[in-house]
Amino acid sequence: MIQTTPPALSRRACLLALAASAAFPSFGATDAQAMLAASDAIRNPSRPFSVTVTLTEYQGGAQVDTSTLQSYSRTLSAGGQFVSLIRFVKPARDAGKVMLKAGADLWFYDPGTKASIRISPQQRLLGQAANGDVVTVNFAKDYTATLAGTEEIQDGERKLRRSSRLKLESSTDDATYAQVELWLDADNHRPLKARFFAESGRLLKTAYYRRYAAQLGVERPTETVIIDGLNPQSVTLLRMSDYAARDLPTAWFNKDHLPRFQPE
Amino acid sequence: MIVTQPRRAVAVALALWAALNGSAVHAADPNPDAGALALESAPVDPPAPSGGGLKLSLEAAVGRAWLRGPGSEHRSLRRGSVDIVYATRFAPQWQFVFSDRVDALHPSDGDSTVNSLRELYVGWQDPAAQWAVEVGRVNLRQGPALGFNPTDFFRDGALRVSTTVNPLLVREYRLGSVMVRAQRMWADGSLSLALSPELDDRPDSDGWSADLGATNARDRLLLSLSTRWAASTSSQLHFYAERGGRPQVGASLSSLLGDATVLYAEWAWSREPSLLQRALGQDLARQSGHRAAAGLTYSTSTKLSLTAELEYNDFALSSGHRKALATAAPALFGAYFFEAQRRQDLAARRSVMLYAKQTDAVWRNLDLTALVRTDPEDRSTMAWLELRYHFPNVDLSLQGLQYRGRAGSEFGSSPYRRSVQALATVYF
Repeated sequence: MIQTTPPALSRRACLLALAASAAFPSFGATDAQAMLAASDAIRNPSRPFSVTVTLTEYQGGAQVDTSTLQSYSRTLSAGGQFVSLIRFVKPARDAGKVMLKAGADLWFYDPGTKASIRISPQQRLLGQAANGDVVTVNFAKDYTATLAGTEEIQDGERKLRRSSRLKLESSTDDATYAQVELWLDADNHRPLKARFFAESGRLLKTAYYRRYAAQLGVERPTETVIIDGLNPQSVTLLRMSDYAARDLPTAWFNKDHLPRFQPE
Repeated sequence: MIVTQPRRAVAVALALWAALNGSAVHAADPNPDAGALALESAPVDPPAPSGGGLKLSLEAAVGRAWLRGPGSEHRSLRRGSVDIVYATRFAPQWQFVFSDRVDALHPSDGDSTVNSLRELYVGWQDPAAQWAVEVGRVNLRQGPALGFNPTDFFRDGALRVSTTVNPLLVREYRLGSVMVRAQRMWADGSLSLALSPELDDRPDSDGWSADLGATNARDRLLLSLSTRWAASTSSQLHFYAERGGRPQVGASLSSLLGDATVLYAEWAWSREPSLLQRALGQDLARQSGHRAAAGLTYSTSTKLSLTAELEYNDFALSSGHRKALATAAPALFGAYFFEAQRRQDLAARRSVMLYAKQTDAVWRNLDLTALVRTDPEDRSTMAWLELRYHFPNVDLSLQGLQYRGRAGSEFGSSPYRRSVQALATVYF
């Protein structure tokens, strides 16, 4: 004889399950931060590295400019935020100029004028180097993540992917953006898409991470598509190439060293 | 008989839970970014060869300048320039730097072709980049201010040619001084010592001269301490001494205010001849005084950058004394301004500078830059405007300059009333 479950007990079990899901909303927050850290590790190597960033700018679908940067990045402490030296390579008028980014400490060096000038985050945001540093930033260091749900989105290769959507709120003064929405592949935490917001809630840029390839031992996105939030017709493609592990002394990230910065 | 009701109940519970958490899986909406995702990157260039870099540019300028005085007498302006910067790391810790500029000018007060050997030095740094030493002609520039740098102790005599009033561009013409410079760097600062010897006793007007007498006419020493107090604030302290003069001290500060504003200030104190005494060749007279500059740069989200700077010089003549000098001794009045320009010093007690740059003004790659300087004592002004368009490797620009003021005023004493010129710069 097949034994059956009494109806009253099964209804109680359902209610208990519902109550449990409501009683532990914070479980998602801890998990979200770990997911964010995992996605950071996919985007950025854990050791000092350099990468060539080729930027292609489009306006209304037509290519209007290209430029090349070399980014040298490391963390100053284990698990800390990246500090970066961004050296302009092309166009020729900007070749040799260097930007130092260490949190809110931002300096621009022009070898032509021998001037190291402090720049504001606003000035940095307006230049292509700002798009370049969307690449080398550890979100987990400057943002608090919460899991906002799972959904299917179109990734950078226009394929549907099941993703986890994280909401990031800035948690330090060094955070460039007030809020970030980040979609991670639900299976492997690969970053798929991000939207970056100002404090006013204004959308500043949308980024898609794509062309995953093995770089320094991990499958990383080698291309990022950045769509201007104010002018969606303005699109910049960042192609990352020539990833290399580097010996980058911390003294290089001192603004007084900028006139001597000449990577091998 | 198998009872199905429990499985149905669990399914309902799951659906309710999903609805409460807003995690319903649904088909993706049409993506408005599809067009952007269809774009392709430009080809990636092969890595540049390591070890060195040459930067070369050629510039040509034509224009016209209208002289002050009755009538519309004018002069044509022509200039051709070659600018070379070569820096290479020829061994793991060794660096060689060569920086030179040749200008062919018309009209010209001296030789029509002037070579400015800006830098020629060898540098060494240890593998950890904590120690660095440079020997040779080094362009050691100090100070965060834009228009006037009281703590830039190696500025005097460092310009052989000056064809622009834009303070950012003037820096590209500047000669370094022959020196030995050592610097110790750490995470939040550095300490440097520069020793610059006397190599010649007077400037050389020959166009192709290295002109060591302009930059190394006396033994000099500069000790500088740079400190990063916080991510957004840093300072420098300076001690400067030269043979035959009294020691000078200086300090500067730069700080970030919010996300869009940079504040800065410079100050220097010394006991030295006034600018007029220097123009008279009376280098033994001394007076104590201060020089200072303070300002801020504000950037907007629309790519506009605005700088306002206040400048002060105790060693300059007041407006009233300048006016009296212009009447009583016009030649000396001219020598006074020449000495101020030669020393890159402020000719007025007080000055106000406004600098604005709009990137991508109206059209992409079109920059508009404006500079206004005014003497609040005599109310004379100088205004400079540039429109510059960037092609991939060529810049085209149109510049206009105007001086306004009564006779005897700072900007009213310029021999030119206004000028316009067109420039083309090719970058290699």
